[in-house]
Amino acid sequence: MRRRRPERWSGPLAPEPRPAGRVLDARLHLLDRQVLDDDEVPVCTLDDLELEPVDDGATPGPHAGTRPAGAATVVVTALLSGPVLRTRIFGGRPPSSRWQSVAWRHVRDLGTAVRLGVRGDDLDLTWPERWTRDHVVGRLPGGRHDPEGRS
Amino acid sequence: MKKLLAVALGILTAIGGFLDIGDLVTNAVVGSRFGLSLAWVVVVGVVGICVFAHMSGKVAAVSGRATFEIIRERLGPRAAGANLVASLAVTVLTLVAEVGGIALALQLASSVDHRLWVPVAALAVWLVLWRVKFEVMENVTGLLGLALVGFAVAVFLLGPDWGALLDQALTPQVPAAEGQATYWYYAIALFGAAMTPYEVFFFSSGGVEERWSVKDLATSRLNVLVGFPLGGLLSISIAACAAIVLLPGGVQVDALSQLLLPVAQAGGKLLVALIIVGIVAATFGAALETALSTGYTLAQYLGWSWGKFRRPVQAARFHVAMIVALVVAVGVLMTNVDPVAVTEYSVVFSAVALPLTYLPVLVVANDPEYMGEHVNGRAMNLLGTVYLVILVVASVAAIPLMIVTRAGA
Repeated sequence: MRRRRPERWSGPLAPEPRPAGRVLDARLHLLDRQVLDDDEVPVCTLDDLELEPVDDGATPGPHAGTRPAGAATVVVTALLSGPVLRTRIFGGRPPSSRWQSVAWRHVRDLGTAVRLGVRGDDLDLTWPERWTRDHVVGRLPGGRHDPEGRS
Repeated sequence: MKKLLAVALGILTAIGGFLDIGDLVTNAVVGSRFGLSLAWVVVVGVVGICVFAHMSGKVAAVSGRATFEIIRERLGPRAAGANLVASLAVTVLTLVAEVGGIALALQLASSVDHRLWVPVAALAVWLVLWRVKFEVMENVTGLLGLALVGFAVAVFLLGPDWGALLDQALTPQVPAAEGQATYWYYAIALFGAAMTPYEVFFFSSGGVEERWSVKDLATSRLNVLVGFPLGGLLSISIAACAAIVLLPGGVQVDALSQLLLPVAQAGGKLLVALIIVGIVAATFGAALETALSTGYTLAQYLGWSWGKFRRPVQAARFHVAMIVALVVAVGVLMTNVDPVAVTEYSVVFSAVALPLTYLPVLVVANDPEYMGEHVNGRAMNLLGTVYLVILVVASVAAIPLMIVTRAGA
């Protein structure tokens, strides 16, 4: 946090204008939540977000005039996950090839979990699940049996 | 009947917590050494697990999120990872003991060496995990586990001096032959057994498996209020049996078979047979509970697809995790380790896992985003906070007491 310099202080502070819509804290409301696919099947836990700067003139936000100079508008372009647990626990930065992403446009709903509008099996991210299915569990007898008795 | 089956989840969860093989023996040890002077701990533990199982069941019913998903979400990867490692250690150690316990119980019934029964027991557990519907699994093991009520029956048949027993329970004193530290070590072991973290993992995930919604809040409450007090009652009954028969005789309990001595004296062969059925069902149920909890915690922390309601191919890594846990259990047991001694060391890991499990449950049960209008009331929060303090004290004291008393020797 930068402290406001006294010479730039002019009169009482105006309350921060509240932007329209829902305000989400990325850390509190998004990170480490479950990502579920269209059929409520867990896909991954959300490890990070991909942010990309956008041209200021093109998308004037609610804060357009009041932002300090040098601050850029960013938008969330993708959900990131992948085998990155080690760096998330011990710190550091994984090579960018580790990250696997799900485009933000697939997000259908944000609640106590992040819900996607696509099937998990169609995402690259879920390859370890598919590999285990095809090479281990699917080959064991009864692996495709439905315990609830649906055909 | 339908109402009775509705509480099967609570009964199975409580059996896994209070009446798994380690606790069966610990209760008898406590009864034979301390009489009923530690019964108050079980009561404190029952209230505590009721409070937190109720909260976790409520969160699962209202938001559909199981407990370890919440732990990961609120604590982040680091603290939740520490909890995962500790919880997995407790759960897998207990699973090892349970598979050994089924084998020991079958040895009691058949006189065939328990090491021969170990692979059979593990295979049976796996087949149930692999094929059987969740409801069928919990109903059968829960109902058969009720045969352990035989311990309560035995207490009545033994016709004890009720005044003396009540006196032991209501004015607890450390027996002259035992040290203070040993008394408190067993107090923490009993409290930790009552509040083992895999109970809430299993209970909340079981709620998701049964597709609880807001409508099922009453079912959840009923499960909690029937299951855990029943588990506590049976665990006190076992201690009482041991206190009546083994304490005056100066018998030191160190094996499962000694549990049957008071029962045989009270009710003869028939009651012994009933109790053996109960022990097999309880250890089998506890094995299922701990194996499933292994899968639940790993899958929920790592964001894998999980659940017995899915076909195994649709929760592939979840099923592989459980298979690996069972293979590890058989491997450990084949080293000829004593299954009962194995659970004693899980106290150490509980120390880390207990506060890190119950704090996020308490926090999320107060979060309107998850709970809407069903957030905790003030009384619930007060109880939850008091128990968190007790949990922290118990977990800080557990390891030093274990070292000082050489695990209660």
